[in-house]
Amino acid sequence: MQFRGLLRQSLNVTAMLLVLQSCTTSVVVDGTVPTPLVSVIPARMGVYYSDEFRRFKHEEVFRDSGGWRIDLGNQNLRFFQNLTASLFAGVQEVHQPPLTTEEMRNLDGVFIPSIEKYGFLTPSISGLKFYSASIEYRVAMYDKVGTKIGDWNIVGYGKSEGGLFSSDEAINEATALAIRDGGARIAIELIDQPAVQNWLRSKHELIEPSAGPPGAAESIETPETPETREENVGVAPDA
Amino acid sequence: MRNLFVAVILSSLLSGCVSSRIEQSRDSATGIESHEAIVLLGRASYNDKQTEESFTECIADVLGEGDNPIRLIEQSQFRDDLYPWFEPRTAPTSANELGKLFTEPGVQERIASVNVRYLAWIDGDTVTIDSGGSMSCTISTFGGGCFGMSYWEEDASYEAAIWDLKTMTSTGQISADANGTSYLAGLIIPVPILARPGNAACKGLANQLRAFIVGES
Repeated sequence: MQFRGLLRQSLNVTAMLLVLQSCTTSVVVDGTVPTPLVSVIPARMGVYYSDEFRRFKHEEVFRDSGGWRIDLGNQNLRFFQNLTASLFAGVQEVHQPPLTTEEMRNLDGVFIPSIEKYGFLTPSISGLKFYSASIEYRVAMYDKVGTKIGDWNIVGYGKSEGGLFSSDEAINEATALAIRDGGARIAIELIDQPAVQNWLRSKHELIEPSAGPPGAAESIETPETPETREENVGVAPDA
Repeated sequence: MRNLFVAVILSSLLSGCVSSRIEQSRDSATGIESHEAIVLLGRASYNDKQTEESFTECIADVLGEGDNPIRLIEQSQFRDDLYPWFEPRTAPTSANELGKLFTEPGVQERIASVNVRYLAWIDGDTVTIDSGGSMSCTISTFGGGCFGMSYWEEDASYEAAIWDLKTMTSTGQISADANGTSYLAGLIIPVPILARPGNAACKGLANQLRAFIVGES
């Protein structure tokens, strides 16, 4: 008798899970990855993509439209790999800083993109005809010895017309456009940031053709390593 | 029964009336060689309006057909090729900005490589400005049906700003406004009588754009 009750409960729970599952829309974001036509920043950068950045997923449940599971990690990673390859004179993916002097030997600095926030709106929520998405990126740059050059928050927006039965496609397109918009701003505006300009000037003045700057630090374990970057968030200039 | 069916089909094919107006202002002479192309770009902004992709596709379809088709470069292809310079928030807002844009590395060469001569910015949208009436539908074991009438009035308002990428100047603007009321009559089955102001604006704008580009008007 107990077994039957347990079985019935299990079946009920399974049925409920199946119903809930069927109300969740899963979107794996996919889109084009254009190569930017921009001035190259004359620096060889190590680029660190955290696991969270590589596998970024957003999950949200709306009372009216059910649950959403949006996986934008892969598209985001592909986009930034292509973006940084065009933006800098040379790029190399690196592990989580701090890096050793040896690891920094052929690099001028480290570039770290991260996602601060992602959000989206459906027409039923916004009252508009469009699906829209926004991504807030934070990009941080460190010089050869691990001193922070600067960090910037960049928000990318995207919106897409959506049909009644293609909400997943519309969210996909809006998100891909938001990644693209954020990338466009990074590609155009990063080089014009005063902190980047100052760093490039000082690098140009100091750097020797085949080696690091004389007297380069032993490692980048300085008070402003990426581990402590949260402390600097408040004073970061916005891009 | 067959007569009723034919009547229903014919009724559904009836189109509501649409009134449209096309206006043009020309700043300079135009003309296009057979190897030159045009790009249609829908303006997007981050407010509640955006030029529908279907509208620019409709114009592209009209321009690409007929006796003298104009060579078109697809909007998405052009935006990808010139990324990040023609994104919603980075695109030039006036032809005066083209000179600066062309100094960016690779931009002028990329445009020249696909022989794009004109760029037409399409801006506008179709909105419902009025609606009313009522219709109710019921269904039961003995059958069902709809009774009543509803209507909605739509206004399509679009503008094309044409830039000559060879001279880096604005060559003119064409605007298209169309207005029409659609009806849905419930006579057991719902019978739509649709006005399509968006379609009328598209065809009017596309035909005028063709004449403008080739220099006929």
